[in-house]
Amino acid sequence: MKRFAYKVPGGKLVCVKVQEEAGIIKYIQYTGDFFMAPEGDLEELEARLFGHKTEQDSMKKTINDFFSGKKTVIAGASADDFAFVLIQALNKDGN
Amino acid sequence: MKVNDAYTNMAVDESLAKARGENKIPDTLRFYRWKPSAVTLGYFQSVEDEVNEEALRSFGFNLNRRISGGGAVLNSESGEITYSIVLKEDDPRVSKDPVESYRFLCQGLIDALAALGIKADFKPINDIIVNGRKISGNAQIRRYGAVLHHGTMLVDFDARQMFGVLKISKEKLSDKMIQQAEERVTTIRRELQRHVSFNEVRDALEEGFQKALCAELVKGDLTTYEEQLIKEFHSRYSDQKWIYRR
Repeated sequence: MKRFAYKVPGGKLVCVKVQEEAGIIKYIQYTGDFFMAPEGDLEELEARLFGHKTEQDSMKKTINDFFSGKKTVIAGASADDFAFVLIQALNKDGN
Repeated sequence: MKVNDAYTNMAVDESLAKARGENKIPDTLRFYRWKPSAVTLGYFQSVEDEVNEEALRSFGFNLNRRISGGGAVLNSESGEITYSIVLKEDDPRVSKDPVESYRFLCQGLIDALAALGIKADFKPINDIIVNGRKISGNAQIRRYGAVLHHGTMLVDFDARQMFGVLKISKEKLSDKMIQQAEERVTTIRRELQRHVSFNEVRDALEEGFQKALCAELVKGDLTTYEEQLIKEFHSRYSDQKWIYRR
């Protein structure tokens, strides 16, 4: 399991725990003290990313498209921060 | 100002939101305290990352999770007053912008502290600070057609308890953790350098919210409908699956 936590400057903490296998996300969970409305959008995003390929631009696009399509209101973090922590976690050595 | 366990306290807040959204009760301000003390996590937080469960057990505190986002707090039996406000989601005074919505609903806290002789400021997104130190944290959720705003006002502070049970992530604070964390927090008693009773703080909060919301407060009890909802919600809040969901 890879983990990356990021305190958004002037915002909140966004953390991700992720597991990949052969370039595919096999487990993902975001946590942190950010605000998101509706709250259930986070579970939906995780479901969307489960089974996703770990190609950076593709993950970024999926996350940005998800939040803008759902019109999710996030306070203390942005769609880019959710993409950033995921990419950073996957870039770590080991699994 | 009733004293309840953590799960009842969260169930009451949610029942107020539902009843307000359904127009079964008017706009409502509630003050409450906790017994036993509890660590309350935000909706998206991880138990493992935020809580020292061994210390929690040794103190005999409960572990609790809100439906609202934000950070973990120690809801201390002896150190704080918690409050909740419910308004209709379409109340024209409440902005759709999160920071503006917090700013509006936090103004009552600033007015309350001013009434006690403490100059405080709103620090976006959801904090009230005194001379740079946090004295109150707040969280909001929109559900059932209502806005629920709840938060805590620190009256007194036990660093051994707070930093014993809460893990402060290294991403948020560097070394000398406790010392730095202690410097980031203050309380009403510390600011006024005297014993301030919970009733005095509650009275100031009433005054502050009346002023900020331009509202006249009328004392009331829970309705039968709210009592029913509380029973229903209590079982969810006390369910380990809910508490350990992240």
